[in-house]
Amino acid sequence: MTHLSAFSRRGFLAAGAGIAAVSVVGCSSSTATGTGSGAAPGKASMWGLSGQPNEKILTDCVTAFNTMGKGTVDVTFFQNDAYKQKIRTAVGAGEAPTLIYGWGGGILKGYADAGQVLDLTDWIKTQSAWKAKFFDSPWGAGTSNGKIFGVPTNNTQPIVMYYNKKLFDQVGASLPTTWDDVMKLVGTFNSKGIAPFSLGGGSNWTSMMWLEYLFDRIGGPDVFSNIYAGKKDSWGDASALKAYKMVQDLVDANGFIKGFMSVTADSNADLALLYTGKAAMMLHGGWAYGAIKAAQPDFVKTDLEFGGFPSVPGGTGDAKNIVGNPANYWSISAKASEAEQAVAKSWLLDGMFTDTVIDAFISSGGVPVVKAAESKIANSENKAFLSFIYNLATSAPNFQQSWDQALGATQAEALLNNISQLFSKQIGPDQFATNMNATL
Amino acid sequence: MASATRSRDTPLAVLVLPSLLIFVSFAVVPLFGVIALSFTKWDGIGAILPNGLGSWQQVLADPQTWASLWLTIITMTVTWAIQTPLSILLGTFLAGHQRYRGLLGVFYFLPLLLSSAAIAIAFKSLFDPNFGLGAGLHIPLLSQDWLGVQLAFPVVLSVIAWQFIPFHTLLYQGGVRQIPVQLYEASQIDGANRFQQFFHITLPQLKYTIITSSTLMLVGSLTYFDLVFVMTAGGPGNATRILPLDMYIRGFRANQMGAASVIAVFLVVLGLGIALGVQRLGGRDKTASQLEGL
Amino acid sequence: MTDVKQASTKKIKSVRDTGSRGVGKPNFLAGFFGWFWLAVVIIPIYYVVVTSLKNQGDYFTGNPLALPIPPTFEPYQEVFANKFGTYFTNSVIVAVGAVIPIVLFAFMAAYGIVRGNGRFLKFSNGLFLMGLAIPIQATIVPIYLMITKLGLYDTLPAIILPAIAFGQPLSILIIANFIRDVPKELFESMRLDGLNDWQIMWRLAFPLTSPALVTVAIYQGLNAWNGFLFPLILTQSPDKRTMPLGLWAFQGEYTVNIPAVLAAVIVSTVPILVLYVVGRRQLLSGLTAGVGK
Repeated sequence: MTHLSAFSRRGFLAAGAGIAAVSVVGCSSSTATGTGSGAAPGKASMWGLSGQPNEKILTDCVTAFNTMGKGTVDVTFFQNDAYKQKIRTAVGAGEAPTLIYGWGGGILKGYADAGQVLDLTDWIKTQSAWKAKFFDSPWGAGTSNGKIFGVPTNNTQPIVMYYNKKLFDQVGASLPTTWDDVMKLVGTFNSKGIAPFSLGGGSNWTSMMWLEYLFDRIGGPDVFSNIYAGKKDSWGDASALKAYKMVQDLVDANGFIKGFMSVTADSNADLALLYTGKAAMMLHGGWAYGAIKAAQPDFVKTDLEFGGFPSVPGGTGDAKNIVGNPANYWSISAKASEAEQAVAKSWLLDGMFTDTVIDAFISSGGVPVVKAAESKIANSENKAFLSFIYNLATSAPNFQQSWDQALGATQAEALLNNISQLFSKQIGPDQFATNMNATL
Repeated sequence: MASATRSRDTPLAVLVLPSLLIFVSFAVVPLFGVIALSFTKWDGIGAILPNGLGSWQQVLADPQTWASLWLTIITMTVTWAIQTPLSILLGTFLAGHQRYRGLLGVFYFLPLLLSSAAIAIAFKSLFDPNFGLGAGLHIPLLSQDWLGVQLAFPVVLSVIAWQFIPFHTLLYQGGVRQIPVQLYEASQIDGANRFQQFFHITLPQLKYTIITSSTLMLVGSLTYFDLVFVMTAGGPGNATRILPLDMYIRGFRANQMGAASVIAVFLVVLGLGIALGVQRLGGRDKTASQLEGL
Repeated sequence: MTDVKQASTKKIKSVRDTGSRGVGKPNFLAGFFGWFWLAVVIIPIYYVVVTSLKNQGDYFTGNPLALPIPPTFEPYQEVFANKFGTYFTNSVIVAVGAVIPIVLFAFMAAYGIVRGNGRFLKFSNGLFLMGLAIPIQATIVPIYLMITKLGLYDTLPAIILPAIAFGQPLSILIIANFIRDVPKELFESMRLDGLNDWQIMWRLAFPLTSPALVTVAIYQGLNAWNGFLFPLILTQSPDKRTMPLGLWAFQGEYTVNIPAVLAAVIVSTVPILVLYVVGRRQLLSGLTAGVGK
């Protein structure tokens, strides 16, 4: 401790000398640390993910809120992978935005345990009418130790299969329903010079979606539940090993587009491969529909098909189970000032899910996590996709949260790293199990 | 007498203070900070917990550490083995005073103008398997998965060579230009041809430049971060995960600052060791300098 | 020593007449190698320039190496719509904000070390020499900790202060070498005129060492301009980004729009390119920072 105070004194001198020499110091105002003004409603800062359509929806939402006179929200956008690292550094530096965006689960738990996000349980208890507007199921992933730290937002995002119908018609094939169908299609498309699956292997969490589904289809939800509970050797479960092998068989059969390890999902490069006709199929989240629609609306109208993940012959998992993100979550930084937190709460109550916002989500192709969505879906031009998603989400016996969000940061990093090696065939199924078991 | 010297000393010693203060605060103290942090466990957002040798044991037992070290050693040796001969040849070539060589020199030094990020991004586009140069030209040989698992590391080393050969060429050009011409003229009289002149005059005369350039190259390639991060971020998998990237990933992605600090200590020790070692080999004084990834 | 130097430069000048280093025939092997290396250097640069002038659709369908006819500035418009003006300003602030203190502090320290004696100065000198071998990347975690405790996180001084610190050792070394070359008699004569050290330093040493100061300024300026790791960790707001960071963020967001990404590369390089055109020799000698001595 004395060590720290000793160098901060010297550091202060140095800083003084440095600042004297640098006349222009631009201090950011969007991450103000507690210099709240008095009576007028204050400001809150927010970080969101860049990429359409959600970027525009959030921007419009915030702009509309700012005219309500309940405070001003300042939003900054980051791309997905950079965001995940930057938010961590920001929280650690005590410079987190007031409203922190996330996916709940273990990462949120980490923030909660470190006292970095507000416990919203009591506040939400006083807002029961507002809480009743949401779906019931997503609250779970925003809760830790019985306390609520994250408010559900955005759309429910199961992972589904997307198909380029035009390419299917071209080769005269029909959509797959079982894994055997999938492997046959791989052969068919490759022989016609079409990549079977698009995959943003460089982002790793995209590859992870394959394992999530295979675990479930082969051995049911318990395979991952054991891992989540920290049960010894659970990564080496027979179903898990089978999943690793199947994935590598798919890679060996050239199931994924050439160079997939260099494609990242951040800027939707993987989606581009589907809608420019380079690949025939893709496993991706529900949000991809909206992104493809924003980039190429015609494709969505005429050539896009979708479906659930195929079943695996001999597997015990229910084919109606889904994986993905039950919702996204907003948390409030515990280090923000009272004024900033108040504005944040106002936004959550009055700005986040206005009718306009709900409509915007629906017309972009998403199912927002509010009960009001159900009736609006029937009138939307995206009815086919949205009812598909809605039914999937509401009738699934089990909705497994994305692993890299359910697990804590260290485990998640190890997982993504090993997945990268598994998919690039640097390690085999047994080595993957061994490596991951070591993190339990 | 004594008082006169002392009164001259005090003001002069004061002159060093601003420099010393800021250097100690932001370079020396962090150095000790790294050592101290390596004995802790910290996830970046919570409290810093003392951890004894815990982080050390974790890092030393992790096969990735040794894999990264091995990659770094390969980086250093291959970098030196490729860049030094090419730079010497180019430097010698440019030291000649023909007009066309001067013109070529103007172009040769262009890569020096680009930042590491710029170079990484330019080559990343160029090597994109679906949208890059090879794919666009429809030449199968050029359409490899350049940044895939097998090829990423050699490709990254090649791009690093592309970036830094101009710098070392500049050093060698200067070095060759300082060689007295009489040596060449004398050898010509003795009937030496170009190759003999190169090996018996040019190379030995370049000894000091070789030592300087090699020190810079070795220490520089040890700590090289920027270009690899932007091009591959250590991947795919761990294919390009050299030590500095390993440190970054452990600290800022896996949130294990203690472990990252252990790797940092490795870097410091290796850097010091190499700098001292090469200088001792060369028997010369301390003109080694730190190229912070130009 | 200076005589021999002059003699050899005279000799080299006369060698120019024969067109090579004393051998009559032109060197075909060297010539071929030279042109080959030119291709290696130029083709990527050509690719970048040419692609930055195409629009995205044409780029995907056409030959990557073909000239854009007609060229379009759409990619550049995209770049400038994305805050590159801010990134440029930030880089300038960081470069200037680092270079001025580096040069001033290092100059004073070098003067003290060369002209003074005593244990404190010797110790300082030793410390700076050791500092040459400290890899700057290794210190990022403690510096992150320090900067956040100082409340400087996400500000430009967060980048500038470590840059000043790590720029000291090499700068002091170069400037000290230069000061050592100044004849002692000049100092003595000024001292006899009644001037104290401070005045001598600014009136005599400063002007005489200006070539070294310029060299140091260029070298450290370029380092500060191109720095990546520290801005990456120590800043977060888009409006605090420096050029390299802005470039990286832009590439992350616009990956598929390759012409725009490569236009951003060009924009980030133009300032240095201008310097190169205006003062090539200065720039190149600054880059090698007197290492060749």
